[in-house]
This record gives sequence, C-alpha cells and structure tokens, in this order.
Amino acid sequence: MAQVLMKDLNKKYDEVHAVKDVNLHIRDKEFVVLVGPSGCGKSTTLRMVAGLEEITSGEISIGERVVNDLPPKDRDIAMVFQNYALYPHMTVYDNMAFGLKMRKFPKAEIAKRVHEAAEILGIQELLKRKPRQLSGGQRQRVAVGRAIVRHPQVFLFDEPLSNLDAKLRVQMRVELKRLHDRLETTAIYVTHDQVEAMTLGDRVVVMKDGWVQQVGEPLELYSKPANRFVAGFIGSPAMNFIEAGIKDGGALWAETAGFRVKIPPDRAERLKSYAGQPVTVGIRPEDLRLATGGDSSDHTFDAVVDVVEPLGSEILLDVKAGSNTMVARVEPTVRVKVHEPIRLALNAERLHFFDKKSEAAI
Amino acid sequence: MLEGAATAPSSGVGGTRTASPQTPLFSARSELSRRYRRRSRAREIVTAYALLTPTLLLLSLVLAYPLAWEVWISLTNFSPLNDGPTAFVGVANYRHLLSTEEFWRSATVTIVYAVVTSAAKLALGIGFALLLARPFRGRALVFLAIFLPWAYPASVSVIGWYWTLSPPIPTAYSVFMGTMKYAVDGAFGGGAWAFLSVILFNIWRGSSFIGVFLLAGINAIPPELFEEALLESKSRWQRFWLVTVPLLKPFIALAIFLSLTTAFADLANVWMLTAGRIVFPVVGTHAYWLAIKGGQYGPAAALSLMLVPVLLATLLVLFRIFDSPEATHA
Repeated sequence: MAQVLMKDLNKKYDEVHAVKDVNLHIRDKEFVVLVGPSGCGKSTTLRMVAGLEEITSGEISIGERVVNDLPPKDRDIAMVFQNYALYPHMTVYDNMAFGLKMRKFPKAEIAKRVHEAAEILGIQELLKRKPRQLSGGQRQRVAVGRAIVRHPQVFLFDEPLSNLDAKLRVQMRVELKRLHDRLETTAIYVTHDQVEAMTLGDRVVVMKDGWVQQVGEPLELYSKPANRFVAGFIGSPAMNFIEAGIKDGGALWAETAGFRVKIPPDRAERLKSYAGQPVTVGIRPEDLRLATGGDSSDHTFDAVVDVVEPLGSEILLDVKAGSNTMVARVEPTVRVKVHEPIRLALNAERLHFFDKKSEAAI
Repeated sequence: MLEGAATAPSSGVGGTRTASPQTPLFSARSELSRRYRRRSRAREIVTAYALLTPTLLLLSLVLAYPLAWEVWISLTNFSPLNDGPTAFVGVANYRHLLSTEEFWRSATVTIVYAVVTSAAKLALGIGFALLLARPFRGRALVFLAIFLPWAYPASVSVIGWYWTLSPPIPTAYSVFMGTMKYAVDGAFGGGAWAFLSVILFNIWRGSSFIGVFLLAGINAIPPELFEEALLESKSRWQRFWLVTVPLLKPFIALAIFLSLTTAFADLANVWMLTAGRIVFPVVGTHAYWLAIKGGQYGPAAALSLMLVPVLLATLLVLFRIFDSPEATHA
C-alpha cells in the first residue's frame, strides 16, 4: 500500500516533448485513471512510474521512496499490459508464478498465492493450460492474476481492456472495480476510453498533448469541466459547442444566427466582462429537450431534425439550429421525423461557457 | 419460404456457387444438392492439382530428377574410367566407403567442423542480435559492420582472410603469423593452420548472418514480453535464459539448422582457403575428390547421400526440441 507522487515530471524524446510538468498525488488505495486521446502522454507517464521509460526531469516517489534511479524490478509494482504479455512457453500457473519465482519465494508460498489469485479470478481450471489455449478474456484474467500474486504496492494498468470485445470489456471493467475494492491496492490505470475512466476511477486525470488538463472525481469532471477539451472528451454523446456572442441588453444573452438564449443571473456576473465578445457555449445533449408550451422563450430555440437515432432507452436527435449542429438526448417516447421543424428547450442552469481563445471554462 | 430454406444448405454451407437452386421437387433437393456438392468438390481438387502442376514439374526437374539420378549412380559402378557397360552393384559402394579410413576421417572432420562453427556462430549471432535489438547512437553503422561479412562476396573476402593468415609481404606481422602457423601445425599436424582458417572464415561470415536472422526474430516478439521480464526478474542472465531464449527458440532452431547444413555441405570455402591442398577433408571435399579427381562416381554419390539421413535426423531433433507445438505465440 502506498501513495505515488509525481513532481514536475517531464519526458522529452529527441523531437517530442511527450509529458509536460505533470504533478500528481495519488493517494494510498486510490484508483486513478489517466485518460486522453492517443499521444497525450498518459502511457508514457505510466511507463515512467514503472521504470520502463527514463525520466527526463522531475521526480517520482512510490511510498516514501524516490524511485527515479531504481530499476523496474525494485519498484514493487506490477503491470498489466494491453496485449497481456503472457509467456507462450509457460503454463498459466508458471506465468502467474514467474515474478515470485524470480524473487525466490518458497514453493509453498508461491502455490498458495497463485491458487488464491486464481480463485479470485475464477481461473482455477486453467492453471495447466498454455496461453494460446485461452480466450482473450481468460488471458487478461491471467495477466491480472500475475499482477495480484505479487502483492505489489501499486498496480499499473496499460489499456488492459482494449483488446477485448465490447461485451467482455464491460464485464471485466466491473470485475476490476470489484477486485480493487477487495484488494485496496493503489492503482494507476491508463485508457483512452472515457467511459472506462469514469466508471473505474476514484479520480480521473484528463491529459492532452502531454499536459494534465484536469484532475477530479468523475462527476466533477462531468459537471464542472475545467476547459473545452475536458468538456468535449468526457461524456457520450459529446457536449455540443456553439460559437456565440455575448450581448448585454439589460440582461446578458448568448446569441448567434438561429440560436439565442438568456444567461441566468447567477452566471451573468462572470460573463459580464465578455459582453460584445465571442465565447463558446457548451450544452450537454441531455440538457436539451423538446419544448412545451410552458417553456419561456428565453431558453428555447427552433431547430430542424437531421438524423434520428433511436437507442431504445433514449433517442438521440441530430438537429440543426441555424448553422449550428447539435445532438439532443430525448425521451424514448418522443416521435419526430427527419426534416421536421421542432422547438428545443435547454436547461439554462447547466450551460457551460468557455473562453474562445484560452478555451478555459468561464 | 420453402424455396429459400431448401436451397440455403446447397449454396451456403458447401461454399460453392455451382449448386443449382432450380431443382424441381422439394424431396429430391437435398440428395441432388449433395451430389452437386460432391461433384464440385471433385472439380476443386482437380483444379488444385492443375494449379500445382507447374511447381511440381519444376521441382521434379531440378530436385527429384538429380536426386533420383544420384541415388541410382550410388548403386552402380558408373564411371568415365569404366570401359564396359555400367553395372548395378547394390550397396557395394556404401559398404566400401564405410570400410575406408578416408571416409571416417572426413566424417569426423565434418562433424567437428559443423558443430564447432555452429556453436560459435550461434553464440556470436545471439550476441550481435541482442546488441542490435536496443537502440543506441550509431546503431546503423554497427549493423552495417556486422552484416558486411555476409553481404560481401565470399570469393573476395576469402582472399582477405588468406592474406591475413598467410601474409604475402614479409613484415613483423607475417613473421608472427608464421610462428603461429608453425605452432598450430606442430600441435595438430600439417594443414591444421589452414583448416583453422576455414573454421574462422565460416564463423566470421556465418555469425553475421545468424545475428541478423535472430535480430529479426527478436523484433517479431512483442516488446511487452521483455518489459514484463524487466519488471519481474532480477538479472540479465535470468531474463536471457528464461525469456529471450525460449521466445527465440523457433528462430534459434532454424539458425542452427541452416548453419549445420552449410557446414555439412561445405566445399567451396575449404577449397578456396586451402587452395585445394586438403589435409583435413570434409565430406564435401572428399566426395569432390572421389568424383572429379578420381572418377569414382558411385562412391562419391553414396558419400554425399549419406548426409541426407543425418541432416533429416538433425532437423527433426532440432524442431522437436526447439519448436514444440506449444511454443506458438499467445
């Protein structure tokens, strides 16, 4: 059990600055997910913690120890790789026992730990098989088992579910979460899948171009994104963005061709200085709905249906309002047709505003 | 409805498009479609053989015919020195060979030559491959330096070696090499120095090839397997024996086999490096000697054929040990 500290962490390759001034404090027993598009530096960060990449500058400590100059084997970590990294020439048992054997654990202790882990993961029957005789999901279980038996201070997961099919991924996701609740070992988990990040992480670190964009609990990232990138990255379908101008006519209005909404008074204060300037308005698809007679014209606008995506539990409407396109998530009982003009209402309390230049939330 | 259900197996399961969906009666359909399927399967087999024919012809021309001819020769007294008709002599050539001292001598030398060079080439080759597997400044140059012995024409580099070991111009170096030759020949008999040069040349040239070959093997292994080893194992030595070698097994087996076969069948290198003054004959030179210099085609053919079972057995053993069926990648 240990905390992990990253201080001013940087990684530079010849031409590329892959990780920039990352500062993270991962608490003991915490499950932290690094998420971002490919090339954002999340895997490089993880690999620096593992010791598989050299640190260009900055400091990493695990527990109380600075590990910058420690070889990977001495860092007391265990890693699970995307392609499982099981040894084809060893049985499942030997794969799981590998790290313990290398560390000269007594045979009885190895057997005890392997069987324990196999039981947790439900792979007791597979111990004598070779990896090639296993399905993808089983292989991933073995890879997780190999990490568990070591009782490491920190688990490192590098996109462990990416090679599994969608259904299995959801199932393994739940199991990993349950496993973490049971083992209470600090875990750092890298993924490009924001759903995985939101469901697994106690806290989520969103990265882009080597920079940490925001660190926070999943719902905090969702409801209070720090900038336009995080707002667009977290949530599916993604947040709608509308380029609008702020008009001050007594009350503040955000408007552009085909779209005009009144900014609620509690938001107006911070937006006042943007009067006469362009901003980006962010609206989550679920904050849009079909307008009824009772909705004030302050928060409704006209749109035309472009595409209807009935998903069963909900319907996604791709609509056009003037030159703006957006997605609305509406009740499954709604019946509209393509090209049909509709009137949409939005939840003004939950509007997001971003500075056009810095993209930071206002 | 019935139409679709009945024709589905004939066109779908059989995977052929020849089965006719227009068969008249429902009851007759399954039997008919089965017959259609069987017929089209037969047609596929005929097509397959037709497509294979050019290759088979070519192979029988360049492989089967010469081999069969050699087997036949080894069972006769065929020789340009023979005045009378060629006679079938059964296994007499083989029996005669086994009774000669030259055969046993050349067989022993060949085995020593093959084993010593293969072991050295493998050790060096793995070293080269591991060296080149990791990125470092100037890797391209080192790669070139390692690969050059293989890429350079043997006929030219062999002269370099000849002059290195027997310098044509008298210098302090040539005096030193002369002393070395004297010492080696004194210890192992005349011609030992020359044969040592054959061994060195073979190792020098072959290790570069094996190095590049195994490098390709290493590059084919997912890097995570090595990274996992880095996380879990204590020493390089452990990683080498427990991870690198087992993962490279199929490549190592093939490398050993290639090395052994070239050594077993070597003729050109020995001939060029010793300028035909052969004191340590290998099977290749001995067979050449028997056939071309001695006109004894029968025994020469028998001698070279005796290599075949040895090589086959080696191949089988190697692949049993190194490329067991379980050793495929996960």
